[in-house]
Parts: sequence; C-alpha cells; structure tokens
Amino acid sequence: MVNVNDKSQRVVKDWFSQCIEESMGSLYAMAVRLTKNDADAEDLVAEAVSKAWSSIDTLKDKNRFRPWIFCIQRNIFIDHYRKSTKRTASMNYTDDCEKFAESEIASLLIEQPDEFLYWWANPEKEFVNNLLGEEILQAVERLPEAFRETVILVNLEGFSYDEAAEIQGVSPGTVRSRMNRGRTLLQRLLWQQATEAGLLPNKNVMEPGT
Amino acid sequence: MTKKAKDRDELHDALDSDCLEAFDHVYAYINNELKDEEAIKQLEHHLRHCKSCFSRAQMERKINERLKKTSKPKVPKTLRKRVKNLIDNY
Repeated sequence: MVNVNDKSQRVVKDWFSQCIEESMGSLYAMAVRLTKNDADAEDLVAEAVSKAWSSIDTLKDKNRFRPWIFCIQRNIFIDHYRKSTKRTASMNYTDDCEKFAESEIASLLIEQPDEFLYWWANPEKEFVNNLLGEEILQAVERLPEAFRETVILVNLEGFSYDEAAEIQGVSPGTVRSRMNRGRTLLQRLLWQQATEAGLLPNKNVMEPGT
Repeated sequence: MTKKAKDRDELHDALDSDCLEAFDHVYAYINNELKDEEAIKQLEHHLRHCKSCFSRAQMERKINERLKKTSKPKVPKTLRKRVKNLIDNY
C-alpha cells in the first residue's frame, strides 16, 4: 500500500502513473463531454494531470484519487474552458434547474400514463430493449447541466453520491435531489422519444397488460 | 434524530401518503445509496404492491444497465504519449 506522503518520490510517481492510467479513459470521456471538442479535451486532461501532480499533497485519502482528480479537471474546465465552450440550450444551468421545480416532477408523474411504464416493463414489448445505450445517452445529453453531470458521474462513471458531491462541490443531499429530478426528466425525454419514433402505442387503444 | 431515522420516518410517511414520495427513494435504492435496511424493506414492500412504482423501478434499472454499458470515446494515442511525457518529466 502506498502512502502518498511518506514514501519516496519514485514510489509516489509510480503510484500516480498507475492511477492516471486507470482513470484516463473516464477522464478523457468526461473532458470530451465538457468541452465538446477533442483537442480541448486533450488539453484539459493534460492540465488536470499536471495540476493533480503539483497538488498531490492535498490528496488526503489515496482511495479517493478518482473523485479528487475528477474534481480538479472539473474546476479547470470551469475556470478556463467554460466561457469558450459552445453552449447548447440544454446547458442553461440555473434557469433550467430553477424552472424544473418539485411541483413539475409531481405533474410529470401524474401526466405520464401508467400504460407507458407497464408497456416498458413488458418483456415482449419493452421499449428500452430496442434502445441502445447511445440513444439513452443522447437523451441524457439533453438534460440541464447540473442534472446531466450528476447522472453521468453516478450512472456512467460509477461514483457514489458522496463522491459525486465531492466532485461537484455540493452536499450528498443535493446530488440525491439532482439525481431524482434528472432521472425523472430523462423518463419524460424517453417518453417523448418513443412517441416521436412511433414506438409507443396510442394509449387509447392499448389494452391493460399489453 | 439520526439521518437514518429521518430517512425511515420520511419513507414511512411517503408510503403512507402516496407513490410520489416513495418514488423519491427509488433512485437511491436502484443506485445502492439507500442504506437503511428498514427503509429498503419498506420500499421493497411497496414495490411488491404497487404496479406503477414497480414498473417505473424496473425501467430505471434497465436504463442504469444500458448506461453502464455505454462505450467511452477511445483515448487518443497523442494524449497517452503527452501524459506519459508529463509524468516522466516530474
């Protein structure tokens, strides 16, 4: 076991190199999502690695390396890249999050027909089995930024709520709230997607249990 | 009141009130973030008896499975080389 603070520089460097190697795929994928640009994504990862090495003493728990370097990369993006990144309508962070209040979740759950859920859950007709992960991911990309980031960190990258909270600089309770809202909104987007694609039968002609 | 007790009370109230509140716990449940065994037990009981919540939970589980299998963009060789050079020079 390597103790970041006590071992020789060489050991720390080897350990750091191994951690970077293990995290590289996730860091680059996140960088591409953030910058929307392959070249900027490479620069962002390289800057994050440099910053991580120069501030290695701030890593108090070696088991938290991954959320720690994700947080570093996120902060560099916010400080240096965010302003120049092409913003989409779905990235209007504050407005969208404020608009999507709890009451709207309630109305969504009420307006969304149970038939959609039953139909989805039916193994013979389930919509989700015909959807590729990439198509669901396209719907994730349409979520407001804070919700999207939480869903990606937890459901794609496998971070716990505590780790996602550390990366985003919020409380675990906020992560939980963003997850609930983001996934509820995702359901609505998939519902729309299914309807637009003609995959969802008209609920007026759908029989119970079909 | 401890957080666990609060969670349990909240869940108890939710199950007594309506599915919306119970569903508030389902995401934590399917993401393995609902730690209170009693809360889990009560939620599972609700899911066994509520077709709507059960179906929604099933759907969300499937979305989780799909998202986990989503492929990541391949890390460019240029970036691997660049990072290796950075670390070699530390």
